Amino acid sequence: MRRMLGRLLWAAVSVAAAYALAGIALNRGEPVNSVWLVVASVCTYLVGFRFYARFIGARVMGLNNERATPAERLRNGHDFEPTNKWILFGHHFAAIAGPGPLVGPVLAAQFGYLPGTLWIIIGAVLGGCVQDFVILFASMRRDGKSLGQMAREEIGRLGGLTALVTVLLIMIILLAVIALVVVNALKGSPWGTFTIACTMPIAIFMGLYLRYWRPGKVLEVSLIGFALVVLAIVGGQWVAESPRLAPLFTLSGTALAWAVIIYGFFASALPVWLLLAPRDYLSTFVKLGVVFMLAGGILLVRPPLQLPALTRFADGTGPIFAGTIFPFCFITIACGAISGFHSLISSGTTPKMIAREWHAWPVGYGAMALESFVAIMAMIAACALQPGVYFAVNSPAGIIGESPAAATATVTGWGFPVTPADMETLAREVGEQTLFHRTGGAPSLALGMAHIFAGSAGRRLLGFWYHFAIMFEALFILTIIDAGTRVGRFMLQDLLGHVCKPLGRTSWMPGVILTSAAVVLAWGYFLYQGVLDPLGGINSLWPLFGIANQLLAAVALCVATTILVKMHGARYMWITCLPLAWLVTVTFSAGYQKIFSTAPRVGFLAQAAELEAGLKAGTAANVAETQALIFNARLDAAVCGLFLILVLAILADSIRVWYGVLSGRREARLLEAPFVLTRLKAEEI
Amino acid sequence: MRSLKDCWRLLLALLRELADENAYRRHLAAHGRRHSPEEWRRFWDERLPARFVRPRCC
Repeated sequence: MRRMLGRLLWAAVSVAAAYALAGIALNRGEPVNSVWLVVASVCTYLVGFRFYARFIGARVMGLNNERATPAERLRNGHDFEPTNKWILFGHHFAAIAGPGPLVGPVLAAQFGYLPGTLWIIIGAVLGGCVQDFVILFASMRRDGKSLGQMAREEIGRLGGLTALVTVLLIMIILLAVIALVVVNALKGSPWGTFTIACTMPIAIFMGLYLRYWRPGKVLEVSLIGFALVVLAIVGGQWVAESPRLAPLFTLSGTALAWAVIIYGFFASALPVWLLLAPRDYLSTFVKLGVVFMLAGGILLVRPPLQLPALTRFADGTGPIFAGTIFPFCFITIACGAISGFHSLISSGTTPKMIAREWHAWPVGYGAMALESFVAIMAMIAACALQPGVYFAVNSPAGIIGESPAAATATVTGWGFPVTPADMETLAREVGEQTLFHRTGGAPSLALGMAHIFAGSAGRRLLGFWYHFAIMFEALFILTIIDAGTRVGRFMLQDLLGHVCKPLGRTSWMPGVILTSAAVVLAWGYFLYQGVLDPLGGINSLWPLFGIANQLLAAVALCVATTILVKMHGARYMWITCLPLAWLVTVTFSAGYQKIFSTAPRVGFLAQAAELEAGLKAGTAANVAETQALIFNARLDAAVCGLFLILVLAILADSIRVWYGVLSGRREARLLEAPFVLTRLKAEEI
Repeated sequence: MRSLKDCWRLLLALLRELADENAYRRHLAAHGRRHSPEEWRRFWDERLPARFVRPRCC
C-alpha cells in the first residue's frame, strides 16, 4: 500500500512538472504567474533527484554505505571529519552559491523568461547537478583529491596543466566581471557607496572582536556585524540626503574601480583574520538568509511575470549584450545551470566531510538543484519588473541614448513603454539620483527583489529593501574579490617559486606585495577596460567569463567521462558525454562568434576594425581612448582564442585516453582508494 | 513539536559549522585542550590560511 502511494505521489510530481513546463513554454500573450516557474522547476528537480540521480548513484557509481569514506579513514578533526548530511548539504550549498546564478539570469532575461528558464532547469538536471555529483563521487573515492590532481592522474599531465592554467585565467576574468557589477551598482549612488564602505570597518571591528575581545564567538559577532550593516543601510539614506556628505560618496565609475582595486590589494596582503575571515562569515550568513527570504517573498507575493516569454532580441540585437539565443543564452547563464567552478568545490572541502557514500547524492546533486532554484528566483525577480524599466536600467547609454528622454523613447520604440517620469519616480522611491544605464544586472535584480520584499512587507520601505539587496550583492561579491585575489596570489607564488625561490615563500613580504599587485593589476586592467567601454563593459566581459566558466565545466566533464569509461567502458559514458558535447558546442560557437563575427557588437576583431576605421577617417572623438579600446578588443579576442585552444587540448587528450581504454590498448586503471569496511556508527554522524 | 526542535538543532549546528565553531570544538577535543583566547588564536591561525587558498565559487 505504501509503495503504491509512493508511486502515485511521484507520478503526480512528474505530471505537475510536465504540465507546468508545458504551461510556461506554450503560453503566449497572457502574463504568466511566477508560481508556474516555481512548480516547473521544483517538480523537475525532484524527479531528476529521485530517479536520474539515484540511477547514477546505484548503477553507475555503485555507491556503498558499507565502504568507509575518507572522512572516516583519514579523520583528523580538521579537514577530514564525518559530518551530518544536512549540515554538509548547507555547507556545500553556501560554498557553491555565488553571484553567478543571480546576475546571469537577470542579463539573459533580455531574451524573455522562456529560454533562460528552460536552460536553467534542463541544464541543471542533466548537466550541472550531474557534474557536481560525479566529481564529488570521484574525489570522495580518491581521498578528496582536487580536480587538477584527478585530471593529471586520470587523463595525463596536459590535462592537469590545462586545469591549472584555466583556473587562474578564469579567476582573473571572474574577479574583473564581478567587480564591474559592483562598480556599476554603486556608480553615482551615495547611499549604496556609504553602506558598502561601512562594511569594511565593520569587518575589521569583527576581526578584532573575535581575536582579542570575545575569541571564538563567531555567531555572536556575526549577529552584531549584521545589526551594524543594517544600521549602515539606514545611515546611508541620511548620507544621501545630506548636501555636505552626499558628494563625498557620489563616485564615478573610474573612481569606484580604483577604490575596488586598492581594496583588493590590501585585502589580499593584510592578515586573513583582520578583514577576510570576518567578512566571509558575515557574507555567508547574509547570503543564506537573503536566499531563503527571497524564496519566502516569491511564494508570498507570487508576482506575475511582466516580460514576455520571448522578446524581439532573440535575433541577437539585444541592448544588454549582443548575440543570438544560441549560443549566448547558454554562456550568459552558467552557474544556475552548469558551472565549472562547482567542480572545484566538489573536489575540495566537501568530499573530505562525507560520512556515508550515499550522502553524496543529496549533497552533490541536491545542493546544485537548490543553486539552480536560486537562478530561477533571480529570473523571476528580473521578469517581475515592468519591461520598460528593466531595459532602461540595464541598457548602456551607447545603445539607448544618454538623456532620459532619448533613453525612454528608444526603449518605448522597442515595444516596452516607459516614461522619464516613471523612471524618476522609481529612482526617488529607492533613493537614487537616476536608474538609467545601471548595467551589470545588480541594480535591476535589487529592484526586483525590493519589489518582492516590499510587496510582502509594505511599499513604503522600497528604498531600504533596494539598498539591502545592493548591500547583499556587493557584500558577497567583494568577499569573492578579496578571497579570489588572495587565491590568485598563492597560485602565482606557486608558479613563480619555480623561477625565483623567495617569490614562492608566502611569508616573504616583498614577494607577497609583488604577487598581490600582479594579480590585482591583471583583473584591475579588465575592470578598468569594462568601466571605460561605451557599451557598458558587460557586453564584452560577461560572455568571456561565461565561456571560461563553461570551459572549466568541460574540463570537469572530461575527467568525469574518463572515470566512467574506466569503470564501465562505453556503457554509461553518455551520462557525462551528453552535457560535455553540448558545452563544447556552445563554447566553440560562442568563442568563434566573439572573435570572428562581422557584427562589431558581437565580434571583438570586427569591433577593433570598426574603431580603427573611425580613427583613420578622423571621426573618433578621443584618439587615445579609441586606441585603448582597439587594443582591449584585440586582447579580449586573444583571451577568448586561448580559452578555445585550452578546451581543444584537454578534449583531444581525453579522447585519446577514452579511445585507448575502449579499444583495449590502454589499461583501465582506476585510481580509487582501496575498500575498507566502515566502522562509523549512526550516532557518530 | 519534536521535529521542530530537531530542525532548530540542525539549523544551529549548520550555522556553527559555517562559523567554524564546530571545527574549534573538534580541535579542542582532538588535542585534549580547553578553550582559552590563546587556543582560539592558535586554531584560527592554523585554519584560516588553509581556508583562503581555495578558489571561491562564482
